[in-house]
Amino acid sequence: MEPYRAERDPQEVAWIRGAQRGDREAFGHLVERYQKRVFSQVFRLVRRREEVEDLAQEVLVKAFRAIRSYDFRSSFGTWLARVAVNHCYDFLRRERAQPATFSVSPGDRDAAQPTALVDKLEAPGQDPERQAVLRDLVGKLLERAPADDRVILVLKEMEGLSVEEIGEILELRPGTVKVRLFRARKRMLENWRSLRQER
Amino acid sequence: MRCEDARTILVEVEGGERSAALREHVAVCPACRAYANDLEGLRIGFRALAAQSVPEPSWGFAARLVRRLDVEEWSRGADFLEQVGRRVVYAAGLLTLLLLLALVLPASGPLRGPTASELYWAQPDTATLANYSILPDETLESRELNSPAPNSSGAKGKP
Repeated sequence: MEPYRAERDPQEVAWIRGAQRGDREAFGHLVERYQKRVFSQVFRLVRRREEVEDLAQEVLVKAFRAIRSYDFRSSFGTWLARVAVNHCYDFLRRERAQPATFSVSPGDRDAAQPTALVDKLEAPGQDPERQAVLRDLVGKLLERAPADDRVILVLKEMEGLSVEEIGEILELRPGTVKVRLFRARKRMLENWRSLRQER
Repeated sequence: MRCEDARTILVEVEGGERSAALREHVAVCPACRAYANDLEGLRIGFRALAAQSVPEPSWGFAARLVRRLDVEEWSRGADFLEQVGRRVVYAAGLLTLLLLLALVLPASGPLRGPTASELYWAQPDTATLANYSILPDETLESRELNSPAPNSSGAKGKP
């Protein structure tokens, strides 16, 4: 993945200025450059393959409407990540407010339960298998985590951003990011441990 | 080192940056060792999640997005015109209604002034009276001769 603080590319600046004047073709070039990153961020935050394309499109439409507010202080990638994170955050909060409408068959439900994953974790197995179980378990815990925790953990642990970069995206001071990150990790670990104790 | 402090540091620091004191505590405290193992499990899980394949944009995604922006821009312009047009129609309707009400309804209250309709019907009288003043004198005289005033005949009959 490209670094967030990349050298400013004159071609990119021209496209941004064009898009700010309403040139949709210029914005199309920016979309081509950043679409993969937007897809990755949206997928990691929302974790639903079937929703990613629609959400990414909404993010980019929102970005086009708001592009006049981009003042070149941060990199365009950081600004776009801010739009994506805010959109996914709203989506997650809306989702949380609505009751789940999808149905799961009993067998699938058992397999998808985090407790079942903890059982698998305790069973002797090879490393790749254990990693897959840990991945699924962390995925489930992430889905259950509050939207704030989910956003900050994804940006740090999965996108691999620094505290400063997360601060730029979330418009928070680095100190605040550290505190929130600490609390989010601790809550997640407590959930993990309480799952093990439930067994 | 207390367990509470050790766990705080374990959560705060990135993997592999543990101090000698912390390593020593984790080595002798089974509860903190289990805590550190769980934390490591979380980190492995996150790394595995990050390595998971991400859905790719479908072919022509950017072009479709640009087309959507074009359509939205056009429909936004049409919406604006429709909104303005609707407001003009409402305003014209309201003005017509007010005008009709002013013409038809009499004024109410203790001091009743002439209504617009009364003023309208009073106009021909005013115009007739005004016409007398601008008629030439001979026309007036001939009118008096042809039709004498009713009180003038009584005056003539007196001795």
